[in-house]
Amino acid sequence: MNFIERYLAKAAGLDSVQPGQDIRCKVDLTMAHDVTAPMAVEQFEQIGVSRVFDRNKIVFVIDHIFPAATVQARNAYWKMKDFAAKYGIVFYEKGEGVCHQLLAERHRLQPGQILIGADSHTCTAGAYGAIGIGVGSTELAAAMATGTIDLEVPEVMQIYVTGKPAAFVCGKDVILTLIKRFGTDGLTDKAVVFTGPGIQTLSDEDRMTICNMGIEAGAMIACFGGSELEAEVAETVPLALETLVPVVACPHSPANVKPASELEDIAVTQVVVGSCTNGRLGDFKRVVDVLKFHKVHPDVNLLLIPASKTILGEMEKLGWCEILRNAGAVITNPGCGPCFGAHQGLAAERDTVLSTTNRNFLGRMGHRNAKIYLASPATAAETAVRGVITAPGTLPAGGKEA
Amino acid sequence: MSILRGRAWVFGNNVDTDQILPGYAMAEEVANLPKFAMAGSSVPDFAAKVQEGDIIIAGKNFGCGSSREQAPVALKGAGVGLVIAGSFARIFRRNAINIGLPVLVAETAGHIQSGDIIEANLETGEIILKDAVLKGKPLSANTLETIRAGGLINRVRQELGVN
Repeated sequence: MNFIERYLAKAAGLDSVQPGQDIRCKVDLTMAHDVTAPMAVEQFEQIGVSRVFDRNKIVFVIDHIFPAATVQARNAYWKMKDFAAKYGIVFYEKGEGVCHQLLAERHRLQPGQILIGADSHTCTAGAYGAIGIGVGSTELAAAMATGTIDLEVPEVMQIYVTGKPAAFVCGKDVILTLIKRFGTDGLTDKAVVFTGPGIQTLSDEDRMTICNMGIEAGAMIACFGGSELEAEVAETVPLALETLVPVVACPHSPANVKPASELEDIAVTQVVVGSCTNGRLGDFKRVVDVLKFHKVHPDVNLLLIPASKTILGEMEKLGWCEILRNAGAVITNPGCGPCFGAHQGLAAERDTVLSTTNRNFLGRMGHRNAKIYLASPATAAETAVRGVITAPGTLPAGGKEA
Repeated sequence: MSILRGRAWVFGNNVDTDQILPGYAMAEEVANLPKFAMAGSSVPDFAAKVQEGDIIIAGKNFGCGSSREQAPVALKGAGVGLVIAGSFARIFRRNAINIGLPVLVAETAGHIQSGDIIEANLETGEIILKDAVLKGKPLSANTLETIRAGGLINRVRQELGVN
């Protein structure tokens, strides 16, 4: 068995499992947010049990539309608030941050843990070796009642990582390059695992970005393993980090990936840095490194959306917020921001957005004719300054302080 | 129940959940969701035109993207009786089955046009057209069990012995 199979077998109470096998696993943590929890609450009530399986293992987060942009969004809050009070579950209701970030910061994610989240980016937890699986509201409701989930043991695609990325190559470039290779459905129903000596050069933050977007290639699970080659997997693909360059996913697919250097001259009107994909301290460090010396282009909105309150607090302590604001950036409250098109920076027909978020589907961030490009924070920072898509490292590092 | 007959609506590859139900509709009450079915797709007025029992035909990777269960709920609420696609994104496929919207995996490219009346047998996976019969992939035992129970909630109720 490979390590994914070992984890799943343990959760299912079996000695061994094999790909394709239907198993019933115990879950260690369940999560839903303000878009998916209200429906999960309704479905849970339909089941008709009087308690949740373990109130300490159920986490609700208000992150998608906070503060409420519509009355309906506020109604979603009340539905979650009432459920949280009734069953005594964990509830982050005051803009603490994006669900995936809060799980990592506050719930001690461990290798082999089974984490079920009513959000497709639950695979982010794989950065810590946890098995994070995205589900819908009904499946989440069932797990809240039973403490179990039925799964089909996936085939494992191993990415064997070697080398070290160049200075301006980020975790985002790693995963976008892989999504280009596999396509948006190349890993459907599979687990993608990252092993090899090269993973030591990737920070926890890089790993979160990489696992986060595993779903954009269709993966059921994205998970980091050890430095050794894992035997007994369906397929292994080598990835030499030193061969990677900064890349951008062009409209309207995360798999429509091109080198940033081939896209220069495309003018942008908004740049977004944040989200569960790239809203962490190291991501904003990339932006600070640029905005210390340069101002945001006058025709560009630069929106910075920290993935959590803790991250925003660190940015403040380090004096970054002042630097960023003085250079022309807008820092919003922690949360999902405009990523999924509900509020805080929607794009009109005339807009071209470069964003560090995870999806650039047609109409994702507002009008269906708006163009959305996905890139790393390093690419986003220099793009915001020049007003055109810019490969990072183009601007002089240093020079005149902003 | 196992044989479904309806009018086809043909879509392409990679119809994502933002096309099936855009993000701006996410905060709507469940009762309002059908009005937004396929609002982000190549047929933005789908919700106004769809009839009870209509069948969506698509290429590969239908339902990719978000875990939003509102997407299949909107389709089912609008009257869609079945989705046939070359392949489905995992979460969408499970969501559809869990709420009782049948899905069938079959390659139909070039065989079906919008407006055609087609018939599908969920148990055999056969899709009957005017001049051809296509063979889809049979559903797994676990999936069939959920469908037989009338969705996941009913199945859990049965398993927990809740009356």
